[in-house]
Amino acid sequence: MAVSDVPSKEASVLRGHEGAVLAARFNGDGNYCLSCGKDRTIRLWNPHRGIHIKTYKSHGREVRDVHVTRDNSKLCSCGGDRQIFYWDVSTGRVIRKFRGHDSEVNSVKFNEYGASIISAGYDRSVRAWDCRSHSTEPIQTIDTFSDSVMSICLTKTEIIAGSVDGTIRTFDIRVGREVVDDFGQPVNCICISNDSNCVLASCLDSTLRLLDRSTGELLQEYKGHTCKSYKMDCCFTNTDAYVTSGSEDGQIFFWDLVDASVMSSFRAHASVVTSVSYHPKDSCMITSSVDGTIRVWKT
Amino acid sequence: MDDGDQDYIFFGTPIEREEELSGRKRKMAAEAGQMRSLPPWKQEVRDDEGRKRFHGAFTGGFSAGYYNTVGSKEGWTPQTFTSSRKNRAEMKEQTIYNFLDDDEKVELEGRSLGMTSQFDTFGFTTAEVARKQVEKEQQKRPSAIPGPVPDEIVVPAPNSIGIKLLLKMGWRHGRSIGAGPTNLHDTRREARKAFLAFSCNEERSRHMESRPNEHGYLDSEETIPAAAAEPSICQSTPEFVRHPKRDIHGLGYDPYKHAPEFRESKRLRGRDTTNVMRSKGAGVTENIFGSRSRKIAPGIGIGALEELDVEDEDIYASGFDFEETPIEVEEPMKSTKEKKQSVNKKDVTIPGFRLASVTNFQPERFLPPVVPSDFEPHHKFPVQLEGDLNISDAPPLEVPPPEDNELKRMIDGMATLVARCGRAFEYLSRERNEGNPLFSFLCGGDSEEYYRRRLWEEQRKHSDQLKLPLQKKSTTTQKMSAESRGRLLGERPLERGSDSSNVSVPAADVVRIQSILSDTFTKPASLLEVAQTEKPFKNDPAKQERFEQFLKDKYHGGLRSTNSGGMSELHRAQERLDFEAAAETIEKGGLKKVTADQLTDSSFNAGTRFTSGGIEKLDIQRHKPNQDERTGNRSCPKREEYQWRPAPILCKRFDLLDPFAGKPPPLPRIRSKMDSFILISHPVHDIKDTAPAASKNPPSEILPEFSETNEPAQETAPEPNVSTVQKPVDLYKAIFSDDSDDENNDSSVSQIDSKKTEVVNTTLNRLIAGDFLESLGKELGLEVPRGSFDSMPNNNVVASGKEHKGLADVRSLSEHDGSMRPGSKITPSATMEIVKQQENVAGIRTVTSSGDICELQPPTISQSSKSHAIESGNSRDMNLNKSLDCDKSSCKFFEHFIFKSEKEKRKTRDNKSRGHKRHGQRSCTSDTDSSDCEDQRDQSSSETKREKKGHGKRRKHSKNRKKRRKTSRSSSPSSDAEWVHTEYKRDKISGRQGTEIISSPSDRHSKYYHDDQHKEKFEESITKFCTKELSFARLSASVLASLQERLNPIRRGLMISNTWSQISSTLHRHGATFEAHAIAFDNEAGDFETLQ
Repeated sequence: MAVSDVPSKEASVLRGHEGAVLAARFNGDGNYCLSCGKDRTIRLWNPHRGIHIKTYKSHGREVRDVHVTRDNSKLCSCGGDRQIFYWDVSTGRVIRKFRGHDSEVNSVKFNEYGASIISAGYDRSVRAWDCRSHSTEPIQTIDTFSDSVMSICLTKTEIIAGSVDGTIRTFDIRVGREVVDDFGQPVNCICISNDSNCVLASCLDSTLRLLDRSTGELLQEYKGHTCKSYKMDCCFTNTDAYVTSGSEDGQIFFWDLVDASVMSSFRAHASVVTSVSYHPKDSCMITSSVDGTIRVWKT
Repeated sequence: MDDGDQDYIFFGTPIEREEELSGRKRKMAAEAGQMRSLPPWKQEVRDDEGRKRFHGAFTGGFSAGYYNTVGSKEGWTPQTFTSSRKNRAEMKEQTIYNFLDDDEKVELEGRSLGMTSQFDTFGFTTAEVARKQVEKEQQKRPSAIPGPVPDEIVVPAPNSIGIKLLLKMGWRHGRSIGAGPTNLHDTRREARKAFLAFSCNEERSRHMESRPNEHGYLDSEETIPAAAAEPSICQSTPEFVRHPKRDIHGLGYDPYKHAPEFRESKRLRGRDTTNVMRSKGAGVTENIFGSRSRKIAPGIGIGALEELDVEDEDIYASGFDFEETPIEVEEPMKSTKEKKQSVNKKDVTIPGFRLASVTNFQPERFLPPVVPSDFEPHHKFPVQLEGDLNISDAPPLEVPPPEDNELKRMIDGMATLVARCGRAFEYLSRERNEGNPLFSFLCGGDSEEYYRRRLWEEQRKHSDQLKLPLQKKSTTTQKMSAESRGRLLGERPLERGSDSSNVSVPAADVVRIQSILSDTFTKPASLLEVAQTEKPFKNDPAKQERFEQFLKDKYHGGLRSTNSGGMSELHRAQERLDFEAAAETIEKGGLKKVTADQLTDSSFNAGTRFTSGGIEKLDIQRHKPNQDERTGNRSCPKREEYQWRPAPILCKRFDLLDPFAGKPPPLPRIRSKMDSFILISHPVHDIKDTAPAASKNPPSEILPEFSETNEPAQETAPEPNVSTVQKPVDLYKAIFSDDSDDENNDSSVSQIDSKKTEVVNTTLNRLIAGDFLESLGKELGLEVPRGSFDSMPNNNVVASGKEHKGLADVRSLSEHDGSMRPGSKITPSATMEIVKQQENVAGIRTVTSSGDICELQPPTISQSSKSHAIESGNSRDMNLNKSLDCDKSSCKFFEHFIFKSEKEKRKTRDNKSRGHKRHGQRSCTSDTDSSDCEDQRDQSSSETKREKKGHGKRRKHSKNRKKRRKTSRSSSPSSDAEWVHTEYKRDKISGRQGTEIISSPSDRHSKYYHDDQHKEKFEESITKFCTKELSFARLSASVLASLQERLNPIRRGLMISNTWSQISSTLHRHGATFEAHAIAFDNEAGDFETLQ
């Protein structure tokens, strides 16, 4: 019940993006963070010291999502230019560009070993790309979705994707099975809990829904924030004790995972909070907003 | 002389003597005068040397060479020609400037009209010049953007700043600068606007407006004193301004030439429309200054000397946008109005008529219906109204609710409603649900007492609620406001404590209130609500209390009270179970929405307001469950599972084992429809490859091992085929099926599907048999009533009956075969297997009746072995003319029979020679065959498959048949398109079967010849066969036509004897050509025999 363990103190503000920041992500160990935005750049920051480290420019249009491998050596990013960029972190050069999506790419993730990239696009497809070979063709295309695929999560054996058609589809590679959970509400963002038993889905009816992955049961609904038209992230805290999400009015909400009560909410940004990312170990969070800033929150 | 020369000193330039001039020059000089005197077309052009430069087209043109004319040393090269191979001549845009000399260009430039900047008032030429300047500069300076800057980027100012300023001040093009006219114009316009606005508002004003219009013109000028400033304008108003052309007829066309009566009405209407238009155009004219709109009120408000300017252009156009022609629609109304006006004014009459002074026209009138004198304008219900019911009536006895929950809910709901809406409602519903057993409680059913009791309770409550506001008025306004607000918002009214007749137990309330007060802010809203509203154990207050405590514990955690209240352990456990169940039901049915003020409110007023109202709460909740269930369903995600096949490489990248590794490839999704159209030449090689592989196996191998040892061969063969698997299916699917069909591949597909395919298969088999028979009859020159197939009645039953006969024939044939060839029984099983495999692969659930296949086996085999040969031929001659195709197919039948009989001969020998020893092995080879067959099938494209079917006739008649089938199946619920789809599927299946069946015998043949030598011979003979077949195909159509004439169809039920001699003898009858071929085949058959 203690609200004190919720990061609500602004530790630093990362400025540099011109225009909206569309996504901000911690890297694997939480020492750095990446952000991307409408200014077609990807930026690498040290959020703890509040410094900007590097800018990656090559995208032709806005960058919607970025992800980094566990070894911090490669980046992948996607955006409005329908391509997935595969970057080398240190040199800042694009190693490969994967073309194949027929439309904007909403989300992109490396798999566990950084050997392939899974991307989800507005063209209702999820595509898998091979980083190991030189082929720029997708190694697999999943097009069972009936609307734009907004978000993607990967486990070691599964691809989980949430779509505007209201479904969360889990593709289990090991079993060869597709599990469809139909919420009936457009799914904006999905996030997998740290124990990977649950999936949190941010729906466009201003509700976060917690889904039990094994049974397909709806465990909880979290309400209070506004999420009606923007793609906004949601995430679990590092301990899976709370669920957090931004709101279209610039607030950040924390809910108790179990009883769905709003533990804390505070105004964090002047405008829509597009992305929230929680530190994998510490109680630290970064949020990005349309107002062009990334804020680092600590307890 | 010489010395004298030396002595002279010359000054100046010596005058040239005539003699020293060159002869040519002299000549020229002499001719010059002459030339000038000649007419121009006879003059010749000479250069200063007097040389003739232009020789005329036939004498050398501009004589080539650079001495005499244009060009260079290399001569004149046409500009458009480039000889380089690499530099292909690009098309150059030629303008006249390419062919002009410089002086000509200058001349031409001079001729183009333009104003000098001095007189360029409006800046057009300036603009032009500026643009040119910019272009020139652009070409000179290096630019970031390669190529010329597009005009869109660099646009010269269209107007000079002075003009802009003037325009801002109200000046327009074509006007002189000065106060007078502008002012006049503006005032006029303002007046017009005002007038229009006025006229838009009221009809009366429109009427007023139209009056001045009748005088021919312009209201504004008459109404505005400013017009007086220019009296001359009014006088000299030309005709066309007074009567502007407002119609869309051609100039001078008079639509009323022969019907002048209508002119007046038209004029009126036209005027009316202008009014409409004007009121419409008002908005347009207001911002017309900014936008150069073409939608301009026609002719309105244009004074005589008003010039047409920006806002008034398009006077003579119809002026009506086609979207803006409500005139016609509005016409009747308007015109009648107009007519009324005109009648009133008595100034409009149709020529030749005059207004009647006395009219005997009276509109027919209908009187309102007479109200009966005894009618009372109030409806009386036979029962008392709500207010009449005396609440102080003795309360009915308390009755236990009926067991049926549904009924109880119903009664509760009804009671609430009746209490709210009065007894009239009860009456109504009783009337309406007279016969409904559910409502039997209304009219004396078994649970009526309960209903009465409930009703009484509800009414009490209701009346309490009605009374309460009155009582409350004296109390605090705050509470009032909250309550009234709740009522306004339609919130559930809070229960009120009534007086001494309260049934509830205060102790329970107290506890509950306390619990509420203690954790109002932490308790989950829904539960609080539940606790407040739901009292499942209200009969037993102590239990209720315990229950609430239980709830609290359950949802809040914390220490459980150990106070057992003197209950035994068993009881407690029992109670706990009860509580659990109750809590669950409450949770399900519980209200979710509860506002904070309601809660606090309730806690504040707890003492007075809490009653036992649990029942009422329940009632209200009765209406909710449906919604809640719905929302519950909606919010609860549906889970479905499908099979999904990850790509092998994806598995690899995820470091996982491919769950589908080693399993047959899935149905490829339709990638591109074009893929399916690509024809792949038939793989003859494959047969060759697999045949030796199979034949290599020693015949004495044990059966199960056989297939295993054969594995390498199998593995090599399928490899190249994987990509083309199922292509034709894709094609048909792409064309004829929708997604749902694709999904049908899943296990969810139904028996319907299988049934369908079953029907499909049987009909198909029937058709095959029918075709076979038909063709056979033809070949044998026996009579079959052609109508038996073509003119077959639409009734499927009849058709099938007939075809069954055909089947019977085939069966007899097959039996015949079977007796000759014991190994044939194996083939059906093999094909069955194949069919099953097909099913797996294609996802088409075919439940084939094995009987059909078995019966059909022998003929199809023979067909197929033949067509196998054909297909190898086809691979060579794919582009055979289509017209030939038909003939070819009929030819095939000859061959088909020849081959068949020949083969049968051979087989009988085979059997004789090898005896039963080989049967076992054959059965196992047929298994391997099946895999081989698959390979073949895989590689074959849809086209070749069709060929392979070996039912030439089939194709020929396919249209008819389709029609027939369609009509016969018209009763089936499936739509046409769907049907076509299945039809194609069916075709596919048949094609497949064909293929499968095809290859198996040929392979078997090849296996008969163990050594390669024999096999080669066999193949050779096959190729020979193919060439022959082609020659057949090229037979003239006429021969075939005559042949077909002679080949009358056989009668049904004819005994088919298929000995070679009979068929060949029939063939002998059909002319020398065929005879020759028959002999050739005879020989070949002999070859085969000798081979063995």
